[in-house]
Amino acid sequence: MNKYMSMSIEKLHELLINNKVTSDELIAESLNMSKIVEEKCNAFATIINEPEKHDVQNNLLSGIPYGVKDNYSTKGVLSTASSNTLKDYVPFFDATAITNLKKAGAVMVNKTAMDEFGMGGTGTTASTGIIKNPWDTSRMCSGSSSGSAAAVASGVYPYALGSDTGDSIRKPAAYCGIVGYKPTYGMISRYGLFPFASSLDHCGVLTRNVRDAAIVVDAMKGKDNLDMTSWDSSNINLLNSINYKVEGKKLCYIKEICDINNYQSPSDELKEHLNIFNKTLELCKKLGMSVTEISVDKSLLDAVAATYIVISCAEATSNMSNLTGIIFGPRGNGDNVNEMMKHHRTNGFSPLIKRRFVIGSYVLQKENQEKYFKNAQRVRRLIVDVWKNLFKEYDAVILPVGSGVAKKLNNETEILASDTSILEEHLQIGNFGGFPSITIPNGFINNLPVGINITGNCYLDETVLNIAASLENEMNYKNQIAKEVK
Amino acid sequence: MSNFTKELVDKYAEDLLIGLTSEENKMVLDEMDVIDSFINKINLIPNIENVTPMTHCLDDFVVTLRSDEVTESINIEDLLSNCDLVDAREIEVPKVVGNE
Repeated sequence: MNKYMSMSIEKLHELLINNKVTSDELIAESLNMSKIVEEKCNAFATIINEPEKHDVQNNLLSGIPYGVKDNYSTKGVLSTASSNTLKDYVPFFDATAITNLKKAGAVMVNKTAMDEFGMGGTGTTASTGIIKNPWDTSRMCSGSSSGSAAAVASGVYPYALGSDTGDSIRKPAAYCGIVGYKPTYGMISRYGLFPFASSLDHCGVLTRNVRDAAIVVDAMKGKDNLDMTSWDSSNINLLNSINYKVEGKKLCYIKEICDINNYQSPSDELKEHLNIFNKTLELCKKLGMSVTEISVDKSLLDAVAATYIVISCAEATSNMSNLTGIIFGPRGNGDNVNEMMKHHRTNGFSPLIKRRFVIGSYVLQKENQEKYFKNAQRVRRLIVDVWKNLFKEYDAVILPVGSGVAKKLNNETEILASDTSILEEHLQIGNFGGFPSITIPNGFINNLPVGINITGNCYLDETVLNIAASLENEMNYKNQIAKEVK
Repeated sequence: MSNFTKELVDKYAEDLLIGLTSEENKMVLDEMDVIDSFINKINLIPNIENVTPMTHCLDDFVVTLRSDEVTESINIEDLLSNCDLVDAREIEVPKVVGNE
């Protein structure tokens, strides 16, 4: 059933150039796996039965299938961002990241389902229905790159694209036992990525090992005249920079997040999660890295999630004002243009997205802008300054992802405040500062995967990847495929 | 006593040209006090008045003007194929002036 698609990119490339397998065979297997995983996990928005093929060249990605989150614009292929507002939208241009992957010879075989426009962390708000975790289909993948995570973890292909505004690549990766990497803001052009919150949105990738993540981002990245926030990274080769030399690197973790004594009546799951985290810290030391516990102002950490909600909801209300049904998407009914737009938006957006829009509208009301929106931007700076100061002394911050394993699907409502909310939300700091940030699997609780996150300073992606790759080699979770828990 | 009413929630949505069903309005209204209290955590941070709001991830953008050169643009036929209502090579849009 799955002979090749569970392999790494480098292994597949070796087989292709030595004529041990053809690209057509890989595509056929990937499409077959897509149908199986669609049945089991509801992971796809579109399966491309006749994908655009590419010759096998020296490029590592040529001829190898991959998946694309449905919020990337793909020329000639339905691109809905899992929203009914775009249910018939077939773009006439490719996102720059897609163009770059086409040049590398990569073969797109499906569009993956996601939380509507990326505005969710559960994988339950896609227009095509709830996306299920391949390790346990009664659980969520988290979101919003839920379909990409489910597909890569299931062995549909070695990688799929994601986007990350709060933790939308890195948390689903942890819940599905794979690698999720968002590089420094602007390393990959966002042109053609449907915007959610432009100051926080990042392109990135989900893979099953760190080297594959480096290979894919090497192909996606580059300065783009169509995205003024992109920057020239032509002097950076992420794959070549992985040399597994981490001795002397300095890591820190945050007491207020990682100390079990911070949590009232911690569950056995949380205790085990932090226990696994501490074991991973020991591995870091074994590799010659120093690990230091540091302390951060708790009131700032407590404000992380609120800061994220205010900024992201406010930016989203503005970004999505172009979803009128006039320019693209199905036309609404009405006697005038306002009625037509309102009909389109009222019927197109799901209730949970409308809820976020109402929050965005509330914080942008004239009387609330200073109190909420501007103050959120101020607190964002204070939080980023704390991390920037940490990076003056340390190479990376290492932290556990979430409070344990993937949550049950019957508990999918967005939780605003709880004892463990900082564990659930701290990855958003990576978006506030545009920091390179990667999640890798680091253990199991009751046969379900958990993950650890490594975040470094802007432009120092090589350092982050090197630490992650070295740590990955010391653990047994590289290239793992989801095994359904019975 | 809540500061929020059904009418206020409808206004916030109407500002964005979004209509809410009574169920959707109730869902949001029931949560608005919790949401308001939650996002107010921002205002528990002292002495932030003089902090410059952070609007971008990176503070070191180098923005340069592009040279004014003609570049490849989108093919008109490709663009028109995406539109619901087309007349010849023009897109039909709702009338926005002269309706009176």
